[in-house]
Amino acid sequence: MVIARGPSSCCMAGGVRLPFALLALLAACLAVFGAQFPELTGRIVDQANIIPSATRQAVEPKLADLEIRSGIQLVVASVASLDGQDIESYANALFRAWKLGEKTKNNGVLLLVAPNERRVRIEVGYGLEGTLTDALSKIIIANAIAPRFKAGDYGSGISRGVDDIVTVLTTDSSEWQQRPSLRLDNDQLPNWLTWLLVAGAIALVTLLIVSPGFRWLFFNVALNLLINSGSSRGRGGGFSSSGGFSGGGGSSGGGGASGSW
Amino acid sequence: MMSPTAARLLKVVFAVLLSLSVSACGYNTIPTDEEIAKAKWADVQNNYQRRADLIPNLVATVQGYAKQERDVLTAVVEARSKATQVKIDVSQLTDPDKLKQFLDAQNQLSGALGRLLAVSENYPDLKSNQNFLALQSQLEGTENRIAVARRDYIEAVRVYNTDLKTFPTAIWAATVFRSNKPMAEFTATDSAQTPPQVKF
Repeated sequence: MVIARGPSSCCMAGGVRLPFALLALLAACLAVFGAQFPELTGRIVDQANIIPSATRQAVEPKLADLEIRSGIQLVVASVASLDGQDIESYANALFRAWKLGEKTKNNGVLLLVAPNERRVRIEVGYGLEGTLTDALSKIIIANAIAPRFKAGDYGSGISRGVDDIVTVLTTDSSEWQQRPSLRLDNDQLPNWLTWLLVAGAIALVTLLIVSPGFRWLFFNVALNLLINSGSSRGRGGGFSSSGGFSGGGGSSGGGGASGSW
Repeated sequence: MMSPTAARLLKVVFAVLLSLSVSACGYNTIPTDEEIAKAKWADVQNNYQRRADLIPNLVATVQGYAKQERDVLTAVVEARSKATQVKIDVSQLTDPDKLKQFLDAQNQLSGALGRLLAVSENYPDLKSNQNFLALQSQLEGTENRIAVARRDYIEAVRVYNTDLKTFPTAIWAATVFRSNKPMAEFTATDSAQTPPQVKF
């Protein structure tokens, strides 16, 4: 009790200004970091201006279609500069900054092109490492992308690269083919489960009224859960209602392959 | 005069407030960050293990084309067996010597592997072998994963060690979590700074 009281008062009184200062500092740091990365404006982010509009129009629907079918977020990006980093570190940091893929599945893929450094990388989210393996990524870069980039044809290199990535991701269909049926199960709870839930709720309320000890426990646990979940809850999908595009909270750990031309 | 129900209600409110303020003051921070750092270490170790698992295949493939490079091949095999022997438990993460031992063994393997890959450049047949190409890209990917996992671990340790030293979590570190020691850090990628030596 004594231990707990001391710091609790500290947070409420003296700690008010400190978090503000820290927040301001953090925001400043974030602004510095964020400035290095282009903004995630869509499924194709062409900072280096190398993707012809015909390619963009042809590829963008494929990327959208892939997400609708399988939930996988595939984003194509070109950057003017890697800021002196190697493409592996840059792609990983960019992937994490954009949070591609769903938070729980980490099913994002980033095709990053750095034309000035003549480097290209396929960065694969944690959840897809088993499907789009390093070896397959390397083959796609070596066969579909690098030769066309070498000839100066960025458009068809990206287009073929995306086609191959999509093929790999959708051919191993064992994972996402089950999704429709799983969703159906989720939507319609079986009758007995509904009744079980109702009975549970009634029991909970009764216990709350009758037992003070349980009440104490419940409020402690439930409130703690509520507070914690507020900060860690991830956004699920890719599209927000305004039609913009954003990552779903996914992460990657350096899977994939790089190449040069 | 307070009715018994009101008194009980007050107690509940007090308990809730207390639990809120305790968690707001970072009681949970130290254990949470400790677990995160441990999980990141598990990642590091997994990726090293993954590399070790790839090596027998790679050695077998190279052997088929470059038998005369016996020295390089045995160096890799030996470094691998040494590296897989040094295991580090999550409870030993606070011991810098142990960690250094582990990383030294892994770095030695990195060096031996680098030499093997450099040597294999001299064998055109080997370089165009599909199996070798696949293994090489997997190895590259694993090295990259190791780099990412190491970076994540370093960051997690930094956060955890900072918790132990900074306000308000330092209060908990000095009282309830007195047995918690700072975890050993290591510098970013020392193996990347010294590229493998190629001898001709």
